[in-house]
Amino acid sequence: MLNIVVCIKQVPMVTELPWDEKTGTLRRDLAAGMMNPACKRAVEAALQIKEKQGASITVMTMGPPAAEEVLREALAMGADRGIFICDPILAGSDTYATSFILAAAIQKEVPGCDLILCGAYTSDSETAQVGPQLAEELNMPAAAYAEHLDVSGRILRVRRLVDNFRETLEMEFPALVTISMERYEPRYASFAGLNKAFMETDIPVLNAEALGITAENLEARGSRTKVRRVFIRKTQKENVRITGAAASAVSEFLDRYQWAISAVIGKSIEAEKQA
Amino acid sequence: MKTGKNKRMMTNKQKSIWVFGDYRNYYQNRVTLQLISKAVDLARVIDAEVCAVVFGHNVEEWIMEYTAHGADRVLAIDHPSLTSYSTENYLALIEKLAKQRDPDIILIGATDFGREFAPRLAKRLKTGLSADCVGLDIEPEGLLVQIAPSFGGNMLAEIVTEKHRPQMATVRPGTFKEIPHNYERTAIVERLPLPATLPASRVRVVEYERAAQKGHTIENATVIVCGGRGLGNKNNFKKLNELARLLGGDVGATRPVVYAGWADHDALVGQAGKHIKPKILFSFGISGAIQHTAGLGEANFIVAINKNPQATMMKMADVAIAADASDLLNNLIKELKKRIRE
Amino acid sequence: MQFNPCMKHKLIRNSARSFAETELAPIAAEIDQQRIFPRDVIAKMGELNYFGLQVPKEYGGAALDSISAAIVVEEISRVCAAVGLCVTVHNGVAVYPFLQFANASQKEKYLPQLAAGNVIGAFSLTEANAGSDAGSVETTAVKNGTDYILNGTKIFVTNGGVCDVALIFALTSSPDNKLQSSVFIVESKFPGFLRGELEDLCGMRANPVSSLFFEDCPVPEENLLGRLGDGMKIGLATLDNGRIGVAAQALGIAQGAMEAAVKYAKERQQFKKPIASQQTIQNYIADMATEIMAARLLLYRACERKDAGAAFGCEASMAKLYCSTMASKVTSLAVQIHGGYGYSKEYDVERYFRDARVTEIYEGTSEIQRMVIARSILSQPIM
Ligand SMILES: Cc1cc2nc3c(=O)[nH]c(=O)nc-3n(C[C@H](O)[C@H](O)[C@H](O)COP(=O)(O)OP(=O)(O)OC[C@H]3O[C@@H](n4cnc5c(N)ncnc54)[C@H](O)[C@@H]3O)c2cc1C
Ligand SMILES: Cc1cc2nc3c(=O)[nH]c(=O)nc-3n(C[C@H](O)[C@H](O)[C@H](O)COP(=O)(O)OP(=O)(O)OC[C@H]3O[C@@H](n4cnc5c(N)ncnc54)[C@H](O)[C@@H]3O)c2cc1C
Repeated sequence: MLNIVVCIKQVPMVTELPWDEKTGTLRRDLAAGMMNPACKRAVEAALQIKEKQGASITVMTMGPPAAEEVLREALAMGADRGIFICDPILAGSDTYATSFILAAAIQKEVPGCDLILCGAYTSDSETAQVGPQLAEELNMPAAAYAEHLDVSGRILRVRRLVDNFRETLEMEFPALVTISMERYEPRYASFAGLNKAFMETDIPVLNAEALGITAENLEARGSRTKVRRVFIRKTQKENVRITGAAASAVSEFLDRYQWAISAVIGKSIEAEKQA
Repeated sequence: MKTGKNKRMMTNKQKSIWVFGDYRNYYQNRVTLQLISKAVDLARVIDAEVCAVVFGHNVEEWIMEYTAHGADRVLAIDHPSLTSYSTENYLALIEKLAKQRDPDIILIGATDFGREFAPRLAKRLKTGLSADCVGLDIEPEGLLVQIAPSFGGNMLAEIVTEKHRPQMATVRPGTFKEIPHNYERTAIVERLPLPATLPASRVRVVEYERAAQKGHTIENATVIVCGGRGLGNKNNFKKLNELARLLGGDVGATRPVVYAGWADHDALVGQAGKHIKPKILFSFGISGAIQHTAGLGEANFIVAINKNPQATMMKMADVAIAADASDLLNNLIKELKKRIRE
Repeated sequence: MQFNPCMKHKLIRNSARSFAETELAPIAAEIDQQRIFPRDVIAKMGELNYFGLQVPKEYGGAALDSISAAIVVEEISRVCAAVGLCVTVHNGVAVYPFLQFANASQKEKYLPQLAAGNVIGAFSLTEANAGSDAGSVETTAVKNGTDYILNGTKIFVTNGGVCDVALIFALTSSPDNKLQSSVFIVESKFPGFLRGELEDLCGMRANPVSSLFFEDCPVPEENLLGRLGDGMKIGLATLDNGRIGVAAQALGIAQGAMEAAVKYAKERQQFKKPIASQQTIQNYIADMATEIMAARLLLYRACERKDAGAAFGCEASMAKLYCSTMASKVTSLAVQIHGGYGYSKEYDVERYFRDARVTEIYEGTSEIQRMVIARSILSQPIM
């Protein structure tokens, strides 16, 4: 039977978090958490594989105590086991450190797992980096942004759309795939499932020590980047005014903004009128 | 080569800013050229060279383009086995080069490919990476200040990699302006052989093809051209379709226009209609009543055209063009037809 | 009493909220206007245990605690009160009496189907001459062999147009020939079970509230719920429970209306600033938020007593009284904050305003709740 690990993350439920001007921090406390949408699709992808060919699904998250909730939700959807990595010394890990910690937990708790699924990106930081970096840590073949998975024997076939190319890739287990938002519309957890996930399931909690992470190796394997400050995007729009005859206004407009438009429409627009 | 470069050669180690040559959608996506342009700015501050790195088969065209747009050096590996994009192969190649040559900064376009490739490279080089940057700055000592969006883009974070090198960032296409080409420019071009020890890729590309345009709805359209009563009549309004086609976008409408039968109810934008989140919104002859603007919550870049400069829509626009809506529309269509390179 | 929601309650709320926002929000206004009962969404809800919230697992239910069940009704009603009504009546007054009063074979036969939502339940007490005065039921059930033959007309039956099973209160005669009410489990497929037209109501329009007619309708004697003459007892116990559900429904409507009003107040500019910056509007919002919070605590208190096995009738009535009057007030303020637009069908608050009103009426009017509460208070010994 396939052994699948799904790495999931809790994110704030709103995209617009209240902002404390005085302290320069986000009022994360004001937002309820939820399972990151792409992670939920990764759970769904795992469940569909389980329904087709049988699998044991372990869901794993690293986060503050409240993040346990997303594991319970994944269990309610149909995952078999939850593993919770929770330790204040791991707070503030960047993707470099996070992938190191997740890899340590997978090696310890699910050695010999066949398939690792992650959400392609999270709605709060959108780096899309943890999955690929986890693949590096575990030295596994990997594909990002998968829309569809097919398993036959030990071969995983991945369909995806990247940079306007439709690709079909094949790799052998063990492998890591990150799941995009396109397909795998996640199922709702039933209330019976939710009740059971809370009343009848234990979730082991791993701290840094249990993962063999110490202050020293965290320094060596831990965060590379530092967030110096977070600031609010200037809300005041520039409100550029253009006047004059229509023809000249159009020229002025295109000369100034052709690059912005061409970046969005994916076609090149000449900077200047050809003479 | 410019003479200034020779002086740099004398210092201990030539500082170097690398830009990864991502050419897969070259005609649509000029992010590599945009990054070369930014790298040129950054290089000036820390006295570095700008080096483009390109892998593939028949890459002469890209070598020429990167040179023409500002690269001082191009590292190229050209081999038939590199014909199709392969994350694993490209990773093995660039890892090796970077370990040999120790660049100070590596910039990679935040294409889908770049965003899968860069994090793995960063891990191999044991360094930090910030994703999808919308701004880059450099401090005189060489610290790269990376501005990356967070929380759905409402917040910006200033990120630095203090202790590890290279400093790496992926950068959102369209963030920087490319330098106009100059085919007279020259660069040092190093055509490198494919290493004999390249490990076989564990990921097989079974199939790939250019994707057909995705069927889209107004709710997920990235470009929307909206029209209101200020377009005057149904015929003028219909011309929005042509603009939408040119920009690959959709047409939206205000309520009076829908009620007048100029547009279908499906096109209604606002509190009683669709909520849209385009990257670019054109708004022709629309006053900006709250019931309409309630549907524009997440429009990124708004261009309003109205004969009344005081209209609410004009005040909330990034670019407000005071003109007759239909006159401007006709001119814009005419001009775009001339300028757009398909 | 626990003042912070536990993780389970949070997750149940999130789950119901995301379902409601995805599946119901896009259709809520339309099904209200067109009076459509959204069968496909109801079917999905069935699979997710919305119709067996507190049914034990052995019958296929979710076995939720009462606060969880209230949260589910709250969240559905926050988006679409008419579907919230369907859920709360089914669980609160149609399924609940099965759990409390049915014998093993009745449970066996009906509960799995009810819990799965394959069978929609109704509770039918009200008649033309028996509203607040539930004792004046005129429908009769006359023993004939192994059947009871039902005759009479029930009105204002929530889910009436779609129910597959209804609990019908009818007069039976005791061995000593006294008329008493009894409760019968009546399947819609029994001969003589007829449905009337849907009522054209002010609110809750997506719920098929209708009359039911019984014309010599034979009900097998094994479908008597509880004992002969237990009607009043079953009715009162069931309504105690149902009131928790109506309170939750009212609370959800109020919550939805407040959220809409807050959003609008921040967006709407008059006198060159958002109306939310006017102190009068702020006062409205402060009152709304405070009363919603008070209502919620009162409701969860009743739930907690119920789960603890304590008497909860008085607390349920308090919760129902307070939540429903609060909901009327809050939805009215929400309309006020929206100005003229709030009176237009293009804004949700107009629907909330109409939907909230009836929570003060059904399952015992506010006047009746006060009667129940006062009776309970007055009967307590003086300290
Ligand atoms: C309950 C309710 C719900 C509503 N819901 C919606 C909704 O969902 N969506 C919606 O759009 N509306 C809605 N409305 C209507 C809304 O209030 C406005 O009436 C509507 O948005 C105005 O549309 P408009 O901007 O096209 O027209 P107007 O407000 O008449 O504006 C026309 C604009 O065109 C400009 N103009 C005129 N001639 C020219 C010209 N030759 N060249 C350039 N500019 C010119 C004018 O200066 C003016 O600014 C709703 C209204 C109500 C009451
Ligand atoms: C949408 C809807 C759905 C419903 N669903 C159901 C259902 O599923 N099953 C069901 O059985 N019924 C249902 N009902 C009926 C509902 O429970 C009754 O309408 C309610 O109990 C009040 O009865 P009535 O309408 O006959 O009012 P009445 O009893 O005639 O009351 C009229 C007024 O007199 C007051 N009043 C009456 N008696 C007293 C008293 N003793 N002291 C003080 N004031 C008093 C009332 O409070 C009210 O203000 C529903 C009603 C509606 C509108």
